[in-house]
Amino acid sequence: MIRSIDVSAVLHQAVRATYADLVTRATGRAVREHIEQAYGTDPATVTRMDFGGVRCIDYSCADEIVAKLLRERIHVLLLRGCSEAHLEALTPVLEGHGLAVILERADGTLDGLGRPESAMALLDELVQAQLAARTAEGAVALVEA
Amino acid sequence: MTRLVDVPGQFDDRSFDQFAAAYSRARAEGGRLLFDAHAVEWASPYGLVGLLAAGHAARAAGGEPPLLTAPTAPEVLSYWARAGFFLAARDLFEIHGKVPRAKPAADSDVLLPVTAVRAAEDVHEVVGHIQQRATAILSSELGIDPKATMGFAMALSEACQNIVEHAGTGGWVAVQSYQWRRRLARRVVVIAVADSGVGFEASLAPTHGRRFGDRWNDATALEAALIQGVSRFRDPGRGQGLKGIRNYVSRWDGKLTIRSGTARIAIVPTWDDDVPLTEGLPPFPGSQVLLIVPEQKARH
Repeated sequence: MIRSIDVSAVLHQAVRATYADLVTRATGRAVREHIEQAYGTDPATVTRMDFGGVRCIDYSCADEIVAKLLRERIHVLLLRGCSEAHLEALTPVLEGHGLAVILERADGTLDGLGRPESAMALLDELVQAQLAARTAEGAVALVEA
Repeated sequence: MTRLVDVPGQFDDRSFDQFAAAYSRARAEGGRLLFDAHAVEWASPYGLVGLLAAGHAARAAGGEPPLLTAPTAPEVLSYWARAGFFLAARDLFEIHGKVPRAKPAADSDVLLPVTAVRAAEDVHEVVGHIQQRATAILSSELGIDPKATMGFAMALSEACQNIVEHAGTGGWVAVQSYQWRRRLARRVVVIAVADSGVGFEASLAPTHGRRFGDRWNDATALEAALIQGVSRFRDPGRGQGLKGIRNYVSRWDGKLTIRSGTARIAIVPTWDDDVPLTEGLPPFPGSQVLLIVPEQKARH
């Protein structure tokens, strides 16, 4: 089972403002706590966070949301809708913590992001759980239910 | 007794220590401060936000509000008004001289007028504003890949958050683009952030001071924060912000300086001859951050 989180929608709900940017520790904390409250008891195997509606994310928010959720709550995290600018903040934060996530590309293929060994293990885990499969081209793609 | 603080005629990061020396001398002598800017011919965003930080510290010391004589040169006055300086200054200083009523204009060079930063909401406003104004200038005038202009907003966000998280008081930020004829002969975008808060040494001392023993001072605190990435918070994710700013300026051959107390640390690019660490500077309250991103060489 894949649980989906629209990060932009959570941002609006959590801070009750029309911000398009995930910036500042305080905002990151509010978004993370909102996610924890909303999905805390949901036993999803995989969590997908969609950054599609988010314009900018800074290092503080990347750490406060993604790194802390990975350390404390979420085992397999799939990121969708990430631009290169988003990755500029997410990559060093994940690498700094020795963490990894799976990046879902626009064409549906999956890539690891963060610590390479952990990312590879996550991809293998998805394949073993039959949530993803290897394509003829050698990539890994989600198997949508 | 009124004590005079001369504002340098060319007021930027290079003359800031001269201003800090005049400020600290006047503060030590006691009495009301008069910041004399009447002869200023040019001021950078760093000079403007630094002057506000000095005014804030002088005002916070109690007694009568500090005095400020406005520049007399019409073009300087006009720029200070367009840059939003007087809107911020009127809450801090008793201003003397003819001050234009002009509001901060949608000037093509002033990407972000002098803006107060006190809380996370202010950082959101700053980041939202800069993305509307700066993206085109960064890519079309500085030759920075449009995909990488978001990094500029991230660096700006982290520089402002330094105030919210560490200063213990408010501060100011300004962003401007200009042709840097004398020093670089290229166009640059400058972010200047200043506060008159506790500074790096006091912010980090409770969690890191003991480890450094007698060596702990403004310079070691700046090194610990910028080079080692330490934070006053024990949370392992802290300290990412300055590291991110450092990576951004290194990637675009930019310059970063942070002045706090009596020291200044710099990430020095190939085009500059600054020194990485300066100690024994005239004391000045809070922290002052300067980021300079130059027009990219290939394009130039």
